[in-house]
Amino acid sequence: MNVIETENLTKTYKRYKKREGIIGSIQGLWKREYEEKNAVNSVNLKIEEGEFIGLIGPNGAGKTTLIKMLTGIIAPTSGRIEVLGYYPNDLKNEFKEKYAVVMGQKSQLFFELTANDTLRLFKEIYGIPEAEYQERKQYFIELFGVEKLMNMQVRTLSLGERMKMELIAALLHNPQILFLDEPTIGLDAIASRQIRGFLKQVNQEKGTTIILTSHYMEDIKTLCGRCVVINHGSKIYDGRTEALFEKYQNSKKITAIFEQPVDGSRFLTDGLMLEDTPHKKVISVPKEKTYQVLQAIMEENPSDISVEEEEIGTVVERIYKGRSET
Amino acid sequence: MSKYIEVGRTYLKTQLAWRGDVLFHMLFTVTKILFACLLWGLIFEEREMVSGFTYHSMLSYYIISSFLSQLEKSGGISEEITYKIRNGSFSNYMVLPISIEGYFTAMEAGIVLFYLGFDLAAAFIWVFIFRIEFVFVQSGFIFCCALLMVIIGLFFMVQLNYFLGILTLKYEEISTFLMIKNNLISLVTGSIVPLTLFPEAVVRYMKLLPFYYVTYLPSMLLTGRCRQEAVTGLFVISGWCIVMQILIVYTWKKYSRKYDGVGI
Repeated sequence: MNVIETENLTKTYKRYKKREGIIGSIQGLWKREYEEKNAVNSVNLKIEEGEFIGLIGPNGAGKTTLIKMLTGIIAPTSGRIEVLGYYPNDLKNEFKEKYAVVMGQKSQLFFELTANDTLRLFKEIYGIPEAEYQERKQYFIELFGVEKLMNMQVRTLSLGERMKMELIAALLHNPQILFLDEPTIGLDAIASRQIRGFLKQVNQEKGTTIILTSHYMEDIKTLCGRCVVINHGSKIYDGRTEALFEKYQNSKKITAIFEQPVDGSRFLTDGLMLEDTPHKKVISVPKEKTYQVLQAIMEENPSDISVEEEEIGTVVERIYKGRSET
Repeated sequence: MSKYIEVGRTYLKTQLAWRGDVLFHMLFTVTKILFACLLWGLIFEEREMVSGFTYHSMLSYYIISSFLSQLEKSGGISEEITYKIRNGSFSNYMVLPISIEGYFTAMEAGIVLFYLGFDLAAAFIWVFIFRIEFVFVQSGFIFCCALLMVIIGLFFMVQLNYFLGILTLKYEEISTFLMIKNNLISLVTGSIVPLTLFPEAVVRYMKLLPFYYVTYLPSMLLTGRCRQEAVTGLFVISGWCIVMQILIVYTWKKYSRKYDGVGI
């Protein structure tokens, strides 16, 4: 069953174009020029119940605008949109009780109070019976291991701890759909991993449909079975995440540190040297050659070595180019 | 209803989070009353009555009106709404299954409850220290009218500030509206100088505005004056609440689609 359906969904923003300098500012007092920007352009989307979907794309691609339309925060300029059978921008309470949204940079928590205080408020706002509230709260507290933090002032928590509390607050009413906009932004590797594990469990155990936007490859690869790539407001890929990376993620970045100076040319059988100093080499290699290059590096006894995936932006760019060429 | 009560309780808790603010607020209340005692003491040195007020009835009026005007904290609502619409975090309220106006009303109630406790305590202390022969209304009916008028008046101010706040959806910048509102309120509420010191014709026009019924008339009623205006006052301020609610519903329907949620 589809929980989300959009057809030719479009959002156009009108932006004030200010001229430079003081004279421009003065002129702006009586004459203003506006330009229109298509933030989301004719997007067709169908999401089934229980799916874990990644929305990816560079900054300004239209991911957040799409989430804002799906949650009813903003109204579409044109097109059809239906979420759980509702037109989101009607902002009906019965619709809002069925989803939750966590925006990495917009906190729902009261910083002066404890997380318990905010959860108590959410319990009342969503009309959760006391017994269910206690049971669910306990489930999430144990899942996250945050028992000791529940009575601390939120402002004293770290970014990772705060995000865990945001997620608990969002999931307390057992939403059918969870929208996550950059939930791991600014988090360290450990906190990000914990959050990912938690989200995976919620999706599998509770069957919550999750729509996630992220700039981090790791988030998308670990969590999302399906991926929607957006660029310049348009959908340019919609399919299995594995297939996307198989087809478009062509290379890996290897960083190697050496105690002794090393000549980097011997590693460059089929790659691109991004940084070449006597003690540090950063090489971009085709993914099928990764093993071969790593072997060559290991022969030089590196003191440290790391292998990174290509950034989402590069992958998106490649999909975009691929589409323009065909 | 329980969701709104919890919103109020939550904001009451946020007020109690900062001990320094609590202390300074109490000191500020005390300083204001001290200043009034000195000022009116000097004026009443040479005469017994000023515009029908004795020294004690004037101080009683001042304590009540400053107590009521300090309860009126709804100015923060318009500032918060305009700030949040402009930086995009107004979305936080839009995604909650609760009426946004109801949320802000409950928020204000929580804040008012906090100040009510402290201001009441401060007023009692000062009546006692300055041995003010406190002049207070004797009629239970007028007292109830005044109390109801205070509640409706505070609700009207919440509505007004909510309305001005959501005008940001249309105008983006509402500081001019806020400035006009603040100046008008200072003039009309009589929170500094009783309106009886103004010419009668001016007061007659002021009575058409809702602000007259927010702190001034309730203060006069509570000090046993203007009794004949009690019932009509209740009708006038209630009428203004209805007008304001119509404006709010119309404005939200017309302009909520303009919200773009951009900012942080």
